[in-house]
Amino acid sequence: MWKDYSVSYIKNNRASSISIMVAALISALCLSFLCSLFFNLWVSETNGIIQDEGNWQGRITGTLSDADITVIRSFSNVKSVEWNEELSDENAAVVDITFHHMRTIFQDMPLITAELGLEESAAEYHLLLLSKYFVHDPQDKEPPLLMAFYLAVFLLVSFSLILIIHNSFAVSMNARIHQFGIFSSIGATPGQIRICLMQEAMVLCAAPILLGTLFGIALSYVIMQAVNQIAVNIPGGFASDWVYHPAVFAITVLSSALTVLFSAWIPAGKLSRLTPLEAIRNTGTLKLKKKKRSRILSFLFGMEGELAGNALKAQKKAQRTSTISLSLSFLSFTLILCYFTLAGLSTKYTYFDRYQDVWDVMVTVKDTGIGDFDQTQDLQSMEGVRDCIVYQKAEAVTLLPDEWQSGELTALGGLGALSETPKTPEGDYEVKAPIIILDDESFLKYCESVHIAPSLDGSILLNRIWDSVNSNFRYKEYIPFVVENKDTIFLKNTVQNETTELPVLAYTQDVPVLREEYANYALVQFIPVSMWEKISGMTGSAEADTYIRVLGNEGLDLAGAEALEDRITKSVSRNYKIESENRIGEKITNDYMISGYLLILGGFCVLLAVIGIANVFSNTLGFLTQRKREFAQYMSVGMTPAGIRKMFFVEALVIAGRPLLITLPLTVAFVQFAAAASHLNPSEFWAEAPIIPILIFCLAIFVFVALAYYIGGKRLLRCNLSEALRNDTIT
Amino acid sequence: MEILKCTDVEKVFGKGANQVAALNGIDLSVEKGEFVAIVGASGSGKSTLLHILGSVDKPTKGSVLVDGVDIGQLNAANAAVFRRRKVGLVYQFYNLIPTLTVRKNILMPMLLDKAKPDKDYFDHIIHILGLEDKLEALPNQLSGGQQQRVAIARSLIYRPAILLADEPTGNLDHKNSKEIVDLLKLSNRNLNQTILLITHDEKIALETDRIVTIEDGRILSDQIRG
Repeated sequence: MWKDYSVSYIKNNRASSISIMVAALISALCLSFLCSLFFNLWVSETNGIIQDEGNWQGRITGTLSDADITVIRSFSNVKSVEWNEELSDENAAVVDITFHHMRTIFQDMPLITAELGLEESAAEYHLLLLSKYFVHDPQDKEPPLLMAFYLAVFLLVSFSLILIIHNSFAVSMNARIHQFGIFSSIGATPGQIRICLMQEAMVLCAAPILLGTLFGIALSYVIMQAVNQIAVNIPGGFASDWVYHPAVFAITVLSSALTVLFSAWIPAGKLSRLTPLEAIRNTGTLKLKKKKRSRILSFLFGMEGELAGNALKAQKKAQRTSTISLSLSFLSFTLILCYFTLAGLSTKYTYFDRYQDVWDVMVTVKDTGIGDFDQTQDLQSMEGVRDCIVYQKAEAVTLLPDEWQSGELTALGGLGALSETPKTPEGDYEVKAPIIILDDESFLKYCESVHIAPSLDGSILLNRIWDSVNSNFRYKEYIPFVVENKDTIFLKNTVQNETTELPVLAYTQDVPVLREEYANYALVQFIPVSMWEKISGMTGSAEADTYIRVLGNEGLDLAGAEALEDRITKSVSRNYKIESENRIGEKITNDYMISGYLLILGGFCVLLAVIGIANVFSNTLGFLTQRKREFAQYMSVGMTPAGIRKMFFVEALVIAGRPLLITLPLTVAFVQFAAAASHLNPSEFWAEAPIIPILIFCLAIFVFVALAYYIGGKRLLRCNLSEALRNDTIT
Repeated sequence: MEILKCTDVEKVFGKGANQVAALNGIDLSVEKGEFVAIVGASGSGKSTLLHILGSVDKPTKGSVLVDGVDIGQLNAANAAVFRRRKVGLVYQFYNLIPTLTVRKNILMPMLLDKAKPDKDYFDHIIHILGLEDKLEALPNQLSGGQQQRVAIARSLIYRPAILLADEPTGNLDHKNSKEIVDLLKLSNRNLNQTILLITHDEKIALETDRIVTIEDGRILSDQIRG
């Protein structure tokens, strides 16, 4: 039957075959791209794990000899056994083991330890590496799920693709219900019809599957190269070689073939279940189950509008799949773009904009107290350094009686309203009073900036607390923390429970120029290092590291910032262990990372878009070609080609417009909600909204629906009126 | 030899208040080699009866034996094989496969069975029906009369137990109609083919051996003509 019928059908109906072939090509491309990309990510992850943690699957720690190694090697599943010199010491030896079949590792390792006379606990498993091969500890109730995630995404995409191709097959098969009715009436069994359709599907899709697989491989190569370009520019990032394996090709082809077969099976099964009488009576005309009126379309476009509305309603079920698929892809596309815009704005406001002018180079001097750092003056006088502050942070607590709270704070409920503020038995609040210890010269300059006489004999209090009632975390407003009437502050040593009195030189609302985020409800104080040296034994505990904040000359560019960072690190790293970063470099790195995310997620969005648009295209084209008889009937009662074109226009408008009408309000609601939740002003989002890509997607939807109507409509209008009304001998 | 036997055949369409009885207790027996016309007004149930006899539809009640097989009891696959081998169906609108040549259309029931066609019989039918020079044409390259002759050839190719023709001349002009009826008569005489012809044209009915008249789903008269 295949040889006699399908071959001639395919030859004579190239247009309907093409829509199936294109759907299969897109499906194979998507699956191949995903397979190849996931394989590369898998290889990259696995290599990373092996590089960081070693290439072992099982590890045994204990008193081991060369004879024990021979015992381990005697296990048939053991592939290699190696001493781990790095981890072995005089108390215990460590051996790393790999297996031929790692799936049985959880049975083999206890046997090995038992044979060696060791406890089972002597065995260790490289769970992360094993999880990359889907091998999980049977006892582990929450194994790593990355591979499961890959599989879930793959299945989800396969399912989406089945929706598209099944639609293309359904369209092609439904157009031939009458013919299959004839076959059935002359004795074709349901099984023969089904097999014929499945054979037809495989023959039509074989070449597109292979071609799509190759395109998918090429696409994954291009994407990986682009990701590598970005990765090499990120500090610590590395480029991965693009890899491929014949098994991936086999999996891709097999999964594509299964997707195609399953897609064809659904409509083929439905069709073969029709009785010959049902099939032979099928005229391909659309029928409404009950009377419906398309009031809006009728009002806007007259009779053509009503007819178009009725036709769309009669095809509601087929249109529903297409609408859902397109709406979901459009929604995902717009939401991902909007999310990135919001996230970008948030990072910009919370980090880059806020710290734009407060640092150019930051150096962390590891495990060094500010008192032990002796290069402050060298750095402050270094060429190209406009300003340099060396500082360390320490923790302390102060006791704050009720009456010391400012009037503004009391009016808002006072410290008592903050649930986390503890109270002493005497009724004083224990308030965090973090200390920022500045180098002396910087402290003196700070004194000048807050308009007090320079002095190293006390602290400057940052007298402010966040007014969380009248402002949000993004646009903070502050009120005075305490009444500015005390000359000293008592700091309590939380470890030794002792109190130290510290002179207060000034109260201020202005902070020194540092890249620091201060606690919202803490009474921060700045002291010079010479004062810290006097009180450090009595109060507070300093953090281990010291920081150097450097501002370079005005108009510093990336090269200048890197040169400055280089000079500073060269100078400081001779005596100290340090880490450094520069603001411009970090901004560029952040931009690269966002570009990388956008590239990968953008690729995913494009994939979604292609799936949605391919579905709407094939569905629309099929929708039209089924309706030869319907349009012939319209023409027979005097509808002009212009009237039919008007119907096409109305239908295209509805098909393309519906997903947009569903999606856009949801997107706007999401943006408003997300902007409100992150305390961003929605107008700031709309100023940077990804309008262009969304418009391009909208346009693509309209273009492809219009294209489907153009192709389908052209064929319809060429059709012989009387023949179309009489029978289906014309195909 | 009795080739067809219907006993108390009923067919009801629809459910509840929308129920319509298309056939209402049909009893009919046809001997091998008979040429029977089933006549009746539009909606009398004659096409429904033909569909049931051709096993493309099933009776709601009663039994239909064709060549000894109770076709109401067949499942979909067996009914298809039965149609292929035992029934030839000719429709008003020919119902040819538009993408296949005349030759393939005629041979389709045998191809479905992977059976080897009898070349002499094929040539004989083609000759009788005058299709020798049309074998490689597509259906849409033929006139209505020629297409109907192809449909008749297809229905005869497997030497079916019974040939069922549903208004085979309904779409043809007078000349072509006469030709088709003559061809059916010729098959009946030369091939001893049992034929049930549905028609509302009395003149055509008069060409057959027996006229069964149906009205409202019942047999009104069964007249054997000398």
